Amino acid sequence: MDPQSQTTSLQRLQNVEKRIVRVLELAGGVMDEMASQSGPRKEIANNHCSEFMQLIKDIQFALREEIKSACEYRPFEKCDYVPRISNEICYKKLEYVIAQLDEMKQTMEGYRNAA
Amino acid sequence: MDGDIEISIDKLPIKRLDAIEENGTERFPSDVDYDEKRLNLIRRIDFGWAVEREDRSKKRKSEGTTSANESTTTNQHTGQWQSLVENLQFAQQELSVIIDLINTVEANDAVTVAGMTRPKQLPNELLSDLAVSTATKLQCFWHLGKYFKQSAAALEKQVAREARFYGALIRLQQNWKVKRHRLVAAASGNAGFFIDLFYNTLYDTSVSLRPSSMSTIPIEHDAAGMLAVNVPPNSCRSLRFEFLGSHSANNVRRSGETNMHAFSEDSSTETNKEHANDDECVRKTHSLLREVHRAIFDEQVFELVSREACNSSLSVNLTGIQENYLRLSINQGASVSISLLLSSQDNKTDIVSGTNSSETETIPSELSDWSKFREGKDNVKKLGFPNRISFEIYLQQLFHEYVFVRAKDKTSSSFRSLISGQQSKDNLNILDHFCMSLAHSIFSNKVLSELESLVCRTPYVQLISHPTWHSRTSSWTLSMKVPQSILHVGSQILSSGISNVKNVRSQFWSKVVVIDESISVEGVGDLNVVGLFNGKPESICPINRYECDLADLPIILLQQVASQVIQWLHEEALTVGIKVTRDFLSLAFELDHGEIASLVAHVDPEDTRGCISWWLMMDDGITENHKLHPDLSIGESESRKFLGHLSLDVLYSTLLDFVNLCSC
Repeated sequence: MDPQSQTTSLQRLQNVEKRIVRVLELAGGVMDEMASQSGPRKEIANNHCSEFMQLIKDIQFALREEIKSACEYRPFEKCDYVPRISNEICYKKLEYVIAQLDEMKQTMEGYRNAA
Repeated sequence: MDGDIEISIDKLPIKRLDAIEENGTERFPSDVDYDEKRLNLIRRIDFGWAVEREDRSKKRKSEGTTSANESTTTNQHTGQWQSLVENLQFAQQELSVIIDLINTVEANDAVTVAGMTRPKQLPNELLSDLAVSTATKLQCFWHLGKYFKQSAAALEKQVAREARFYGALIRLQQNWKVKRHRLVAAASGNAGFFIDLFYNTLYDTSVSLRPSSMSTIPIEHDAAGMLAVNVPPNSCRSLRFEFLGSHSANNVRRSGETNMHAFSEDSSTETNKEHANDDECVRKTHSLLREVHRAIFDEQVFELVSREACNSSLSVNLTGIQENYLRLSINQGASVSISLLLSSQDNKTDIVSGTNSSETETIPSELSDWSKFREGKDNVKKLGFPNRISFEIYLQQLFHEYVFVRAKDKTSSSFRSLISGQQSKDNLNILDHFCMSLAHSIFSNKVLSELESLVCRTPYVQLISHPTWHSRTSSWTLSMKVPQSILHVGSQILSSGISNVKNVRSQFWSKVVVIDESISVEGVGDLNVVGLFNGKPESICPINRYECDLADLPIILLQQVASQVIQWLHEEALTVGIKVTRDFLSLAFELDHGEIASLVAHVDPEDTRGCISWWLMMDDGITENHKLHPDLSIGESESRKFLGHLSLDVLYSTLLDFVNLCSC
């Protein structure tokens, strides 16, 4: 299925959910048809049912693909909490250096104004 | 009663239906008038059975004697009588049932209907039943259809809500560890997700840290079904390092801490702003998590610090301990405190009077009272205290680098040697290293202030700082350069007359290196007695290195500088051709008549106008030689004249003046 390479796994699962909603709508439509006073219109009912079956097939296919491709992985292997703290420390250092530079600038301006 | 019972058999008084039509109208048989009814009744009385019996007996007696006519008529009669008999039998049965029923009811017994056979339905009744059930089924279908459509709509909404939630959750998961409690998920309506912010150090089991209560943060749904993370306010603490006794000018707040609360709350629920809201929400959550993560790290650092402080060690003296507060005393007489403060408490530690308003600003450039700030800084300089923020960051960096980062890389020896020194490999004490760095920093600041004051008052000496990239080593150089004007003049003189061109040194330096708290001075320009006798200037100046302490540093340096000047003058004099002899701090010129004029340097670190001053001493060879020990208390006399604080140019021209006076 071509779209598999383009969309992410999450998007494919969201499509499955949308299809399920659509399936429910179709079922409701078929029931409405059956409940009509003049009897069900055959083509409409047939269309609904065939679309229903097609969607169920698609859903099944997509779910099977997703379950197969859910890989075994060790969770949190690439945890970056330690570099995160390094980053925070670097951020503080930068803040400090900027403050020092600002001070130097102030000093220079002070001298320039005094001169 | 008589034996003869007269029975009048009548049709049951219930009106029997002939038929019922679709539209519900009933057809009854047409009414019969009274006479016909009586005739019908009489006809119903049928004695056929008795006649038949007789006939049968007659037949048995005389077989075949009866005529055909008689038999036919008797047959008709027997048919009528038979139906009568049957009806009588049915009636009898029904009557007996009724009599039993009446007897039972009279006896007050309960009567239950055992069963009733349903009368066979007429076809139109069947059709009507079918129609009713069909209508019911259609109704069911319709309800079912409505139910499906409603479910579809509700499911779509639910899917959209969850898409928001899980979309945000996936974005969080890219940066943080998201885990799930399966049991909690089953119990409560929540999905049971939480974020785990804890990271244990892998270094040593003895260094392992407890996860704090903050490290698992539950993920909840907010009112709109979107992801929400709630952290109780005032639960995040930050590490704070302070020098006790010098609050002024060191308590500059960092700007980063206040940013967290400055987000604008956008509570609009319009759908076209949903995306922006989602982004905003995720960003806020990221910031919140970042804050908590940092707070957890600070707590871990504090715990490690307190563990190390409580073990007795060399340079760390624990003088006070409270919850979330440690006080240490450092070698140089300073007392520092390391504490964990809530971010709201930061603003309350300003105790300095008169500068309250300015202290809550974040960056010094925004301070309103600049002069007070500078005054505070000068104070700090005298005490030698470095900036507290830099050491706060250093503390965090040391622990982070050592405990978390290098834990994986146990073969790296450079960092270990930095910390452990002579100690065994496993007993690495980070806090020791930190305190020694701190002591070194304070000490080297004092050294620097001394050097600066010296250099301020000696115009021809420059102070150069060298970065050492080591937290316990600092080094500076005092360099003296001969100004270009003199070199120019010198080369002119050289090119004009004298053949031998000697390379005169034009730059002299003294190096000051401070390691931990010991100072070592090295430099060019001390006396080499052997070289003096040889008269070769090149071999006179080896590099000497020796140690000293802070009190002696100024005078030693000044003496070194002065001797370097003397040496330079000596070399210049030799190139020009004057006969000179050099002593420790004096240069003696031989004049025409055996007189010796000497230029003597006097060093005084306390002199505010200049550290090195010059005297001219005349010695006619007869009077006692006071050259080497100029005594200020004697003051000026005929044989000694105070020249003042001379620059190198003036000294050089003085030298050239001597050329005229000396015999070449």
